[in-house]
Amino acid sequence: MLTRVKSAVANFMGGIMAGGSGSEHGGGGSDLPLRFPYGRPEFLGLSQDEVECSADHIARPILILKETRRLPWATGYAEVINAGKSTHNEDQASCEVLTVKKKAGAIISTPNRNSAKRRSSLPNGEGLQLKENSDSEGVSCHYWSLFDGHAGSGAAVVASRLLQRHLAEQLQDIVEILRNSAAPPPTCLGEEPEGAPAPRTLTRAASLRGGVGAPGSPGTPPARFFTEKKVPHESLVVGALESAFKEMDLQIERERSSYNISGGCTALVVVCLLGKLYVANAGDSRAIIIRNGEIIPMSSEFTPETERQRLQYLAFMQPHLLGNEFTHLEFPRRVQRKELGKKMLYRDFNMTGWAYKIIEDDDLKFPLIYGEGKKARVMATIGVTRGLGDHDLKVHDSNIYIKPFLSSAPEVRVYDLSTYEHGADDVLILATDGLWDVLSNEEVAEALTQFLPNCDPDDPHRYTLAAQDLVMRARGVLKDRGWRISNDRLGSGDDISVYVIPLIHGNKLS
Amino acid sequence: MTYAYLFKYIIIGDTGVGKSCLLLQFTDKRFQPVHDLTIGVEFGARMVNIDGKQIKLQIWDTAGQESFRSITRSYYRGAAGALLVYDITRRETFNHLTSWLEDARQHSSSNMVIMLIGNKSDLESRRDVKREEGEAFAREHGLIFMETSAKTACNVEEAFINTAKEIYRKIQQGLFDVHNEANGIKIGPQQCISTSVGPSASQRNSRDVGSNSGCC
Repeated sequence: MLTRVKSAVANFMGGIMAGGSGSEHGGGGSDLPLRFPYGRPEFLGLSQDEVECSADHIARPILILKETRRLPWATGYAEVINAGKSTHNEDQASCEVLTVKKKAGAIISTPNRNSAKRRSSLPNGEGLQLKENSDSEGVSCHYWSLFDGHAGSGAAVVASRLLQRHLAEQLQDIVEILRNSAAPPPTCLGEEPEGAPAPRTLTRAASLRGGVGAPGSPGTPPARFFTEKKVPHESLVVGALESAFKEMDLQIERERSSYNISGGCTALVVVCLLGKLYVANAGDSRAIIIRNGEIIPMSSEFTPETERQRLQYLAFMQPHLLGNEFTHLEFPRRVQRKELGKKMLYRDFNMTGWAYKIIEDDDLKFPLIYGEGKKARVMATIGVTRGLGDHDLKVHDSNIYIKPFLSSAPEVRVYDLSTYEHGADDVLILATDGLWDVLSNEEVAEALTQFLPNCDPDDPHRYTLAAQDLVMRARGVLKDRGWRISNDRLGSGDDISVYVIPLIHGNKLS
Repeated sequence: MTYAYLFKYIIIGDTGVGKSCLLLQFTDKRFQPVHDLTIGVEFGARMVNIDGKQIKLQIWDTAGQESFRSITRSYYRGAAGALLVYDITRRETFNHLTSWLEDARQHSSSNMVIMLIGNKSDLESRRDVKREEGEAFAREHGLIFMETSAKTACNVEEAFINTAKEIYRKIQQGLFDVHNEANGIKIGPQQCISTSVGPSASQRNSRDVGSNSGCC
């Protein structure tokens, strides 16, 4: 991704960026210590020597899970380093099973004096919230993450280590509510959940009287005469993911004064919790489900093109963010001075179509969003519009910060595992743009539907071999004119990382 | 740890000939009788001393199965040395040498030093390929040859080190461009880049290299 930032800046300025990995150490200042040392995903279990060997930009070894290692659900994983655009592989990944327990001491429901007696009689498990140590086995949450760094590996490394902790923290607060699927999530904590049968009669009686709870029963919720939005349980998980991304980004922002956390990264996270998959994406990585040969997209990409209207609107509302150097309007090409006063096609934040406007002086400024497809950039600098980090990223040779235009908010899609009896070849694919830049969803699906049925269904490594096959198809083979894939197309020179997650393991959960 | 040069090796040959065991014996000095199949590629590294110079060997151990051939082909790129291994108790692994050699020659730099290794020399009673056959194949194709045992460690050090010596000799002769990483050689950090080396090398070499027969 580094080149995507760099080449655009160079293009725009018409100048030359300081060579090599000039931006490797980001704005955090390279005198500061690293937050975490650079490495490859922990689950690969590579020694320092192995990490060194793997960073071979000439032979580009495809790294896979070792035979002796297993990921949850027999998940497959493979990766390859870029063809030389950055010293390090700037993709990062982590995968683990989190056990989410209610935070010690955090009591989400007001204790009831006679709770101990009522506990067993409450089918909705409300009583579970009353004692800190009661029923503390926790809920297990499967977690897969993929990050694609740019302008340094710091942010991606930090996020791969810490995002899951932020998520666990968010989930701790709601784990008891999630478990208690019979009752809707309480709107306001500290009140008695509405679904509880015992107090319901009281509530009804109270509401008939038009008053608050009967004296002497503090747990009785107040009567309501207004309608209340019903919030489903899964929305709380979505909210937890969104909050975790935000907290992660804030932590990187805080800690960059004491650590060298270089660059930024996209983030793609999958969580399996209580029978549902949650796919959270901020950036241009992609997740698809391949089910019985059918493709189900589970994410969309956030790029200058897909987020044009959001970015233009922000610039329109807060023009100072453009530093008097850029215009928020889009034109089909750069406007030339001699065209002043003529009418030219343009579009603003409120438009998906095009219209004509008279060219004014302001329109001669460089467009906020410029370029097409993979070359589209925000302020000629960055080609991805959501992710973590990048707090110090500025337009080249200026004081204009990019960060206000970037969002750490993921889009979260939910997939209910119980709706389908998954077979051994039904998988969820997560991959960084290194894969998707050169292979379409259809090509990936076709490759898998060719590959998986030809592997032993009991081979615990079949999904890793499938991931390796996909990386191989995207990297290609080294020929005289660079890396080539099928039909003599150009292979991906980017870092490529791929998870193949078999969904058959999700059947057991539901 | 600092080093004068880094040499990249690749170990190739049919599945089950003992490639991973050779690597493990060389890097960890141990033998693992039951070893998982290598899938894809694994790495090892060790520092050796050649002619008073610290040299880091970076060794790529590739999967031997046919299905991985297309993947491992790119790994010849940037290798300075290759250990081409067969199993002296299984003739078919010897018969396949030609095809491995073709692959290696086609995808590597022309200066790559290739060491032919007949492994499992401890299993003399089950020998299926005569030592002379290995020697003849090596002579015919311009390879260095040794028989080794990853189990007893016999000649394992020598196989890796003699390959390094040959690469080092080629560097001294100016056959390798040490500045081109595609040749599988890197100059160590903060090393002075002078390739002219004194004549003392040959004397030491004669003592170490000559021990081909050794224990096997």
